[in-house]
Amino acid sequence: MTITGEVGAWNARGDAAAAVVARGLTKVYGQGDAAVHALRGVDISFATGAFTAIMGPSGSGKSTLMHCLAGLDTVSGGQVHIGDVELTGLNDKQLTLLRRERIGFIFQAFNLLPTLTAEQNIRLPLEIAGRQADRDLFDRVVETVGLRDRLGHKPAELSGGQQQRVAVARALISKPQVIFADEPTGNLDSRSGAEVLSFLRTSVHELGQTIVMVTHDPVAASYADRVVFLRDGLLVSELVRPTPQSVLDTLMKLEA
Amino acid sequence: MLKTTLAGLRAHKLRLLLTSLAIALGVGFIAGTFVLTDTIDAGFTQKFSAAADRIDAAVTPAPGERSREEPLVPAAVLEKVRAVGGVADAQGLVQGTSALMGKDGKVAGDYPTAGVSIVEGSLNRTLITSGSAPKTPAEAVLDENTARIRGFAVGETITVLDSEEVKHEFTLVGLFDVGLNQELGFTGAVGFTTGMAQSMTGEKAFREIDVAAAEGVTQEAVRDSIAAALGPDYQVKTGKDYADALARQNGADTQMITMGLLMFGLVAMFVAALVIYNTFNILVAQRTREMALLRCIGATRGQVFGSIVLESVVVGLLSSVLGLLLGYGLGAGALAVLTSVGAPLPSATAALAPRTIVLGLLIGLVVTVGAALLPARSATRVAPIAALRTQVEEHTFRAGLIRVVFASLFLVAGVGATVAALGMEPGQAALIVVMVGGSLVFLGVLTLGPVIVKPLGAFVGWLPARLFKVPGRLAVDNSRRNPKRSATTTVALTVGVTLMTLIAVLTGTMRATYTQKLDDQFPVDYMVQPQARDSGLPRALAEDLRSRPELTGVAAFRQTMAKVGKGEDEYEVGTFVAPADFRPELVTGSIDVLRPGTAVVADYVVKGLGLKVGDRVAVRTAKAGAVELTVVSTFDPEVADLAGVTVPEEDFERYFGAVGDSRVLVNARDGVSPERAREVVEAAAQPYPTAKVASSTEVRGEFDEALDMMLMIITGLLGLAVLISLLGIANTLSLSVHERTRESALLRALGLTRPQLRWMLSVEALILGLIGALVGVVLGVTFGWAAAQTMTEEVAFRLPVPQILAFVVLSGLAGVLAAVLPARRAARASIVGSLASG
Ligand SMILES: Nc1ncnc2c1ncn2[C@@H]1O[C@H](COP(=O)(O)OP(=O)(O)OP(=O)(O)O)[C@@H](O)[C@H]1O
Ligand SMILES: [Mg+2]
Repeated sequence: MTITGEVGAWNARGDAAAAVVARGLTKVYGQGDAAVHALRGVDISFATGAFTAIMGPSGSGKSTLMHCLAGLDTVSGGQVHIGDVELTGLNDKQLTLLRRERIGFIFQAFNLLPTLTAEQNIRLPLEIAGRQADRDLFDRVVETVGLRDRLGHKPAELSGGQQQRVAVARALISKPQVIFADEPTGNLDSRSGAEVLSFLRTSVHELGQTIVMVTHDPVAASYADRVVFLRDGLLVSELVRPTPQSVLDTLMKLEA
Repeated sequence: MLKTTLAGLRAHKLRLLLTSLAIALGVGFIAGTFVLTDTIDAGFTQKFSAAADRIDAAVTPAPGERSREEPLVPAAVLEKVRAVGGVADAQGLVQGTSALMGKDGKVAGDYPTAGVSIVEGSLNRTLITSGSAPKTPAEAVLDENTARIRGFAVGETITVLDSEEVKHEFTLVGLFDVGLNQELGFTGAVGFTTGMAQSMTGEKAFREIDVAAAEGVTQEAVRDSIAAALGPDYQVKTGKDYADALARQNGADTQMITMGLLMFGLVAMFVAALVIYNTFNILVAQRTREMALLRCIGATRGQVFGSIVLESVVVGLLSSVLGLLLGYGLGAGALAVLTSVGAPLPSATAALAPRTIVLGLLIGLVVTVGAALLPARSATRVAPIAALRTQVEEHTFRAGLIRVVFASLFLVAGVGATVAALGMEPGQAALIVVMVGGSLVFLGVLTLGPVIVKPLGAFVGWLPARLFKVPGRLAVDNSRRNPKRSATTTVALTVGVTLMTLIAVLTGTMRATYTQKLDDQFPVDYMVQPQARDSGLPRALAEDLRSRPELTGVAAFRQTMAKVGKGEDEYEVGTFVAPADFRPELVTGSIDVLRPGTAVVADYVVKGLGLKVGDRVAVRTAKAGAVELTVVSTFDPEVADLAGVTVPEEDFERYFGAVGDSRVLVNARDGVSPERAREVVEAAAQPYPTAKVASSTEVRGEFDEALDMMLMIITGLLGLAVLISLLGIANTLSLSVHERTRESALLRALGLTRPQLRWMLSVEALILGLIGALVGVVLGVTFGWAAAQTMTEEVAFRLPVPQILAFVVLSGLAGVLAAVLPARRAARASIVGSLASG
């Protein structure tokens, strides 16, 4: 079984209920001699209700791919679909509304507005969209991430792990079609990291959430259902039901 | 270290420019003031020294004459001077009044034109701009301005009244330039040959005698010989000294203007200093990490301090130079505008004196570096460890004890001073105490700023937060998150708004007070007065008005100057003829107490002569010799507008004979239209060329115009301070936007649209602007009220609500305007790029 064969199989299966699909995605920064080809034609799809990790060496294009998929950045070529919406060709306003309605984010750091309390931060996406929070969902999310007694605190009064849990809650509260997380545990120690990752996995399995996560950490990647590997802007490999060891092995192979 | 600083400055050109602009505007205003007044001064000096070339000596009465009248040189002295050895020619200058008649057969203008002599020969200093000087007594010249306004051209015949108000006709042979004589510039002037000028004006004596020395005689020599011949009663100056003295006198005038304008310049510089202080504070806060890093790699505290000070020196120098250029442009522009509206200014090219350059550079540099010192000091407190912290901590602000103590001291002292001033006699001293109190309270508010800005932010933000949903609420939070920064930003605006409101309240109150007084004193529709205030109108005019059926309530007032009391003091003694319902208010009793042999006397006469009711007072009359009058009551001239010593009509006639009416008040009868009534009054006045008709609305209008003008000029000048504070708001916002780059990106990622992000920043600016304006309005109204109380008794306080509302709305809008650029920048930034940034 070759690596490429496996990728093709997943894509075929994923298309049926895909939350996000990219076709022939390319991204070039700069022009002429200075041009950097960050993505060189990526075909990938992310199944609804799945937890997918993106891995690869530094500079391989992980963040770029995520930004392009989430409509945060424009693509140079190819197509991106979120559900039934084609992203390429949307203007800034449409992209913004799409993010508001369908996408959740968790960043590595600086996830929260310092002027708002934890609760206000969690509700922020709903407020921006002018929607009412579903009371039950709010309670469940807050319960899941274990923040009940911290809701009135400002971010400066929370630990790094707690801040990231608030960010996870915020991403979950609007029930987005997909959550993109760029190294959400990059700044956390292993225990807090493990906590945040279990919340992400719980939300996938219990709430049916779709999550795409970029990470450098094989242990973090092992929480996912599937890991895809990037190198030099190309999708080169993937693993289903990964373990830390199998992820590490694949990475070693890629770097060799 | 030097390199790091300069590289940093180059990297932030826009910020550098905005910061510099604040100082540059202040320096520019100050430099512009100097350029303007220096140029005017230089022009004066130039003109006067040109005059000095023509005359070798000038004779004027010795200063310190006792008489109230302008001292003059009698004609006999001219003969004496002409007889002095070494004098080639001597000419006396005559100046008096001789009213020019307009083409409508009435005297022209509100004030009678002056009559002056145009000297013949080499001593002539009058500049004839077209035609020629009058050579015969039948010829006359007019000043250019009057000729233009009244529509007279060379070759026409003009009619001029002599001092007895007899008409004389002259051929207009030329036009002349009044030059720097402000008096002539104001009234306009007719020029005659010397002899005709004397007979037209009735002035037999001279203002001064100009002397030309004979060939080979120096100015000093001729001065000394004339001085020896005339004795100590006259002052003799060489032509050069005389010109210098004139130039100095005018210099004193321009110095007043300079001082006045510099006050506004100082306010502007104060606001600019606040802006600079805030900017550097924010810069230091933002660069905490950078500076900590520098400290980590071995930079000393001194080096960190030095780098901030160096930055401020560069900013200061740059803005001073920019300011000087701006000032030169402003000065030259103001000069051009003044000349084009016909101000009597000598023409000269704008000059940037070395003094202006040095002062401009110095002020700009000192203010900038001074304002940056505190921020620079706080930069040295950054610990190297701060470099290792990931997120810059939010500035939590707690009102320190020292701050509260100082603020309370300022407030208590300021309020105390103001309350004390309110208890004082109205006058300048009380006004000054109020101003000091106001300044202290302002300092208190400045100190307390960070404490009050949070609740104020919530207060003014209440509506925007509800109106603009998420962006609004975030904006309110943002405006309150750094109270110190917000406070300094808004206080800069408060300065301008406070002063503007204060002036608006003062002028509004003055207007109301004046209107009230006018209604009390001038409860009539029309007033007829002679053009020259000290002359009279024939009594027949009042008779004619009384006979007109359209008019009613004709009251005629007569008065003349006479010696009253034992001393030499002269007061106006007068009477009135009025219908029975004319009842001026007296301190005791009614006007009926005025019987033959008695007088009612104004407060100031009572005070001046030490009189009381019941006393007898001596009046030296023209016809009846010295008479003794009994004082039967007194009055306040602000309440009853009567002559200082008012006597019954029959007495007055006996004492002084036929004196013309100095004022006739007329009402329109009910049901007669104002137009018709006016026509009737005008028709009655037509046969009397010097009679000027004014309506109460006109008088009010004139005063209103003058007030509006003043309000406009002062508000315009204060506008500079407001402009600078807006630069401050723009600067603070753009720095805050820079600081919150990642926050904005996060919001955008979460679904905030570009317009919403722009709104968020605009609303933040709106809130800052409104806070500044509100505090300013409260302070301005309070101290405007207090200041008004110190100006006169019985003030009719008026709150100019529309103006104040306009200030508030404009401040808010201006704040929004200031946010346009930073908001665009924030909205344009790419999300991905911003998320990645440090
Ligand atoms: N704004 C940009 N301009 C130019 N080149 C860029 C830009 N952003 C990314 N790149 C380049 O694109 C390539 C992919 O970058 P990307 O940030 O996606 O890598 P990554 O896989 O996320 O790396 P890391 O693991 O270090 O975060 C890199 O070579 C990077 O230098
Ligand atoms: Mg990355």
